[in-house]
Amino acid sequence: MSAVIFSTWRGEFIDNRGKSPDESSESGFKLPQNYHGDVTSKAFIGWDGVAIFQEDVDALRLATEYAAQYQVYSEACGRCAPGRWGGRILYDLLDKIARGEGSYADTDHLKEVSQTMMLTSKCEIGRTVPKPILDLMEHYWEQFRDAIEHQKPSKHYHDDIKYIAKVTAPCTDMCPALVDIPAYIEGVRDMQFGDSLVATRQTMPLAHTCGRVCPHPCEDACRRANLDEPISIMELKRLGADYETDHALPWQHPHPPKPLRNDGKKVAIIGAGPAGLSAAYYLALEGIKVDIFEELPVNGGEVAVGVPQYRMPIEKYQKDIDLVLELEAVDIYNNHRVDAERLKEIEEEYDATLLAFGARLSKAVRAKNERADMQGYWGAIAMLDKVNLWSKYGIGSPASNELKDKTVVCVGGGFTSMDVVRCSVREGAKKVIMLYRRDEKTIIQNTTYEEYHEAVEEGVEFIFHSAIEEIFDENNQLKKLLVNRFELMPDPEGGRPQLVKVEGGDFEIECDYLIPAVSQALDTHILPKEWGLAMTSWDSIQTNGKDYMTSRPGLFAAGDCEYGPMTIVNAVGQAKRAASVISRYIYDGKVTLLDDEIMEDHLARLKVYNKDEKVTGWMPGLPRMVSEKLSVQERIDNNREVNLGFTGEEALSEAQRCMRCYYISMVAV
Amino acid sequence: MSKDKEIKMITVTIDGKVCQAPYGKTILQIARENGIYIPTMCYLTKVKPIASCRMCVVEIEGVEGMILSCQEVATEGIHVTTNTPQLYTQRQNIMKLYDVNHPLECGVCDKSGECDLQNKTLEFNVATQNFTTREPHRTVENWGFISYDPALCIMCEKCVHVCNEIVGDESLAISVGGYKSTIVNKNLEDGCHECGECMSVCPVGALVSTHFKYSSNAWELTKIPAACSHCSSGCELSYEVKQDKIYRVTNNYEFSSLCGAGRFGYDFENRTNGKDEIDFNNALDAFAKADTIRFSATISNEEALILQRLKEAKGYKLVCDEAKGYQDFLKAYSSISGKSLYSGDLATIKSSKVIVVFGSMVDSDNPMVKYAISTASKQHRARVIYVHPIEDANLSNIVTQYIKYEVGSEEGVAALLAHALVDRDNLDEDTKAFLDNLDIGNLSAESNVGEEEIDALVQSLGKRKDFTLVVGADLYSHPRVENIAKLIALIEKYTSFDTVAIPPATNALGVALICELDNQVGEYTIGYNSRGDFTLSALGEGDLDMPSLNQQEGTFTTINKQVVPTNVALEYKGYILNDIASALGVKKQYTIDYTQELPIDKGYQGVAFDDLKIDFGINGEDLRGYRLQTHGVDSNSMLEEIAPLPTYDGLVLYRANSINQFSPFTHKAKELQSQEFLKGSNQFALAAKISDGDEVKFELDGIKYTRVFKIDTSMKGTVAINPTNDKGLSSTLVSSYRYAKLILDVQNK
Repeated sequence: MSAVIFSTWRGEFIDNRGKSPDESSESGFKLPQNYHGDVTSKAFIGWDGVAIFQEDVDALRLATEYAAQYQVYSEACGRCAPGRWGGRILYDLLDKIARGEGSYADTDHLKEVSQTMMLTSKCEIGRTVPKPILDLMEHYWEQFRDAIEHQKPSKHYHDDIKYIAKVTAPCTDMCPALVDIPAYIEGVRDMQFGDSLVATRQTMPLAHTCGRVCPHPCEDACRRANLDEPISIMELKRLGADYETDHALPWQHPHPPKPLRNDGKKVAIIGAGPAGLSAAYYLALEGIKVDIFEELPVNGGEVAVGVPQYRMPIEKYQKDIDLVLELEAVDIYNNHRVDAERLKEIEEEYDATLLAFGARLSKAVRAKNERADMQGYWGAIAMLDKVNLWSKYGIGSPASNELKDKTVVCVGGGFTSMDVVRCSVREGAKKVIMLYRRDEKTIIQNTTYEEYHEAVEEGVEFIFHSAIEEIFDENNQLKKLLVNRFELMPDPEGGRPQLVKVEGGDFEIECDYLIPAVSQALDTHILPKEWGLAMTSWDSIQTNGKDYMTSRPGLFAAGDCEYGPMTIVNAVGQAKRAASVISRYIYDGKVTLLDDEIMEDHLARLKVYNKDEKVTGWMPGLPRMVSEKLSVQERIDNNREVNLGFTGEEALSEAQRCMRCYYISMVAV
Repeated sequence: MSKDKEIKMITVTIDGKVCQAPYGKTILQIARENGIYIPTMCYLTKVKPIASCRMCVVEIEGVEGMILSCQEVATEGIHVTTNTPQLYTQRQNIMKLYDVNHPLECGVCDKSGECDLQNKTLEFNVATQNFTTREPHRTVENWGFISYDPALCIMCEKCVHVCNEIVGDESLAISVGGYKSTIVNKNLEDGCHECGECMSVCPVGALVSTHFKYSSNAWELTKIPAACSHCSSGCELSYEVKQDKIYRVTNNYEFSSLCGAGRFGYDFENRTNGKDEIDFNNALDAFAKADTIRFSATISNEEALILQRLKEAKGYKLVCDEAKGYQDFLKAYSSISGKSLYSGDLATIKSSKVIVVFGSMVDSDNPMVKYAISTASKQHRARVIYVHPIEDANLSNIVTQYIKYEVGSEEGVAALLAHALVDRDNLDEDTKAFLDNLDIGNLSAESNVGEEEIDALVQSLGKRKDFTLVVGADLYSHPRVENIAKLIALIEKYTSFDTVAIPPATNALGVALICELDNQVGEYTIGYNSRGDFTLSALGEGDLDMPSLNQQEGTFTTINKQVVPTNVALEYKGYILNDIASALGVKKQYTIDYTQELPIDKGYQGVAFDDLKIDFGINGEDLRGYRLQTHGVDSNSMLEEIAPLPTYDGLVLYRANSINQFSPFTHKAKELQSQEFLKGSNQFALAAKISDGDEVKFELDGIKYTRVFKIDTSMKGTVAINPTNDKGLSSTLVSSYRYAKLILDVQNK
């Protein structure tokens, strides 16, 4: 790995030029000194400064190429006067100097146009592009001066150097599916809702779904929070999807699906959940034949049979599903259970196989006398399957047959447990109790404030710092629970506080049902033992988290079966990347990443969002919009969608708060 | 209508001036309302902030950086400075950027003299150019009425915003390309209504009228403020005149809009050489013989009043086919609602969250209604339920639910709507019993409107507020118009819906209020812009010439229940209606002397013509004329049983004009002239056994048609569309139900 010669990244100032290794200082940031494999970087330049890794770097050309890359970006935008003309002028002036035709007046004009861009551009990209260029002009001035004085090209002006650029945003970088969030918000702002949807679908086919039930990690990386409150990013995604559905428009794909290639290549996908659907979507858009094998008669995976109707209406999710399944290149086989033998056949028959079967086994709570065959002991996944298959598809029978007027105890703390307790309320349970080992703050962190708050409103009793020690039954009928109380003791070492059992704090709960929702595991039986697939320490399928190929060539894995139980957006992000890798693998048998993907991973390591940054040029104090919810009375006994979504005014006002924090960065290799 | 949230007032100091404003307004809005100037290049009051030019940046005490005043909402207590040397420099730089490579062709550019780029280049003293760059090749495009020159375009995006947010065509889009960006018209072939809204808001010479181009300098034209006479919206416009010729129409585009007919259909004047005494005397003879005056509703309020006075003085029957059904509708409507007028207007539609359109092909019937619905759809995500036998595919980006009913079943549909929407709690016993006793199953089956469709409509209301029911001409011409009106009135009276009854012709509302109309013509008929035994015509094809509405002063009563003035754009040299009336003893010096005598009991206010304003307020308020006053009337009328719903099996024609056509007057305008077709679906073609391009003959309402049939693939079903605007004076004679069974005489091409 090369050393940092010079850096102005994020306010640090390192200048090791001409210094011995002992005197040299190191960067505090995870800069991309190594590009990929054994390719090293010469320099990295971006919104927050510039870092040079080789003494010999041509700073003038670096600045010129950065301006050129911005110019390429602005050719995909050009939505404001300073950015539209400024980007062009910046590049023209720098290139004029770099090719040996510049004058000192040009550097003055450069500074002048930079100033206007930094103060008045619409997007952060226009405001930040001049910064590292001005840094280079200041600290590598002798290179600029030489080129002007001697009217000669910069030192590597004609050399073959590769410059790889990537546009991102703090929210996009934090999104596991790397959704182009500023673009879809801009679509809402401009009331071009179709454009908004297309922006989302570039990397996220499940726009209805992730406009409703995404835990929105992006909002934790929203720069608007540095000014007042984060943008309500997730809910703005609904507008584009609702627009398409409300007006029965044709599918708004990011590009017209390419015709089926018919070249004999085909990909198998095991599971039609978020990961399977997403991978199928991006493969099929390219015209690659995909067959999906789904165990259930219905599609959509855990989001269909796990996430309740009041949170994720199936008629909306079904749109996301149909978007994928209606593509020419996709075929789906329902009621098709893939076991180890079948998987071997499929793997043999297809050019690549993606495992996307999720994690659908409820884990035990690890109490004494815990037996899956005990009456009243009901795994969360099985319970939610029953509720949702009936309420959404009319399959089976209503869970109220079991739960009406009963006392239900759920052990959990994540989204699944919230679904369990809130469904239990709706199925008519007399009393619903949630036991959780940790505290209120953590349960909100694990889910969302709204989710917790709404459950409390609906009458769910939360007992924190508690865990079941023993389950009691009579004739195999569950009767009561012995529960331990815990308290949080600060770790004297300064680590995470430890849970310590409170002596004498035990209590009993009489109940009819215990529904464990602590976590889910994947069904490893479907994996042929003889393959000896590498597994993670938490017993999910291991990949390197970049290309999603398992230890077996040609076998890929994405979503919960790869990561362990996680979010929809995580599954989508993984599947999209896996689809990209597969689309090349089936032709050349190689596992490769695109430059764009390599840069995504670099930026994720570097971290785009800076919570300490001071935001200027925006009006602070404009509150985040909150959409209307059904009142408790309106929702408690039915499956109506609780969140009514933004009104037009709310959506526009929220979209106008977005600061379009696009950034461009570039590596020279 | 209820507005839940109380609006909080805030205090903002701008350049030392203390301003009060409701929270939610932007800094720029507050500044403008208080007469403080902040320069902009892309701001357009009637759409949401575009934020592309960045000229409007201001400084705010305690806030670092420059703040975009057009977009940022003002908060309590802020101190704003709109001009500093630093702000000036940045604005000047932006102007320098705008000027990079802008062609120096002001000498021949249409916009010269009224160009924002010229004005601000001078304002910011950009005398030299520091910035240069290579210019890509850009070609001029022809979009029909409009020409687009991308080399002149500054990419302010105003045109795209009006097309999307107001017109609803969604035709214009940005072809992104940074410095190479241009505007593209993606629906040029189909979907673009050529309304010219884009052209009117263009701040530079990029979008100009193809016809007007190179014909005159802007400063040579005299602006005659007027009201558009083509439909009942009575839009504000100016005829721009030079040497007795109208060159073009402009409007106060910052606040108001026009359709293509208003903008391009201006030269419908009736040219005469002078007063033809022989014809005039013939006319007086005819009036002496006549017992009936039959007239078109494309007429001013004052002329309508003259006719009413003639009726009162001479006992003429007044027959106005275009307004009679509407008058019947309004009377019956009032007899239930208890109010003299319907409650809503275009502004109500624009701010609605749910809009039900019933019995009107709004896109062609009244473009301003369509614009208002489009804005509601975009800005408020309004649910738009379009209840009509023809699913208008042009509206699919706006409509959220189509309810398609059987032709003729309007009364049944009105009953279904009333049944579903009216809350029984506040009802008197009779009405409650009436609704409860409706045979919903039968009505649903006969009208072919499923109960689940009505349920879905009710679902659309959800927890929303601000509902408008828009009804149109299909209902006024229906034989059961009165009971339909009563059912609609029930909805207005007992639900939170406001109602707008679109007047079916330019001044149908004025005529309906001012004239006592008769049903039948008598022995001898004077036709006024309508066919009669003796015809007075502004179309120049009658027995005595009359001035057209761009040659007259007077007022119209618009869909907004507003009385708006219009002025003489072109001098008229012949006789006018007032001359005839005066000769017959109904005497006034000028037609506009009648303005202040418009009936006060109908809501008119007795204001003299010269006292009527004709402009907009600083914040875009339409200050033209005045609003009619709504007053209470008896509402003890009874609903009638629903009559058996008629059936219209087989081929059916629907009377509707094309986009930008309303009447023989729009048809006469040179730019709008086009061949009219019979348009139908593939299914219609199949049922009628005709093909695209076939010439067909048929007769309806006594009018003979020979039309070329065209297949419109966006249409479905067996209802075809037949325009009447090319039928001259005959077109105003029609009062029958808007749908008719068709018997075809086909001649293959």
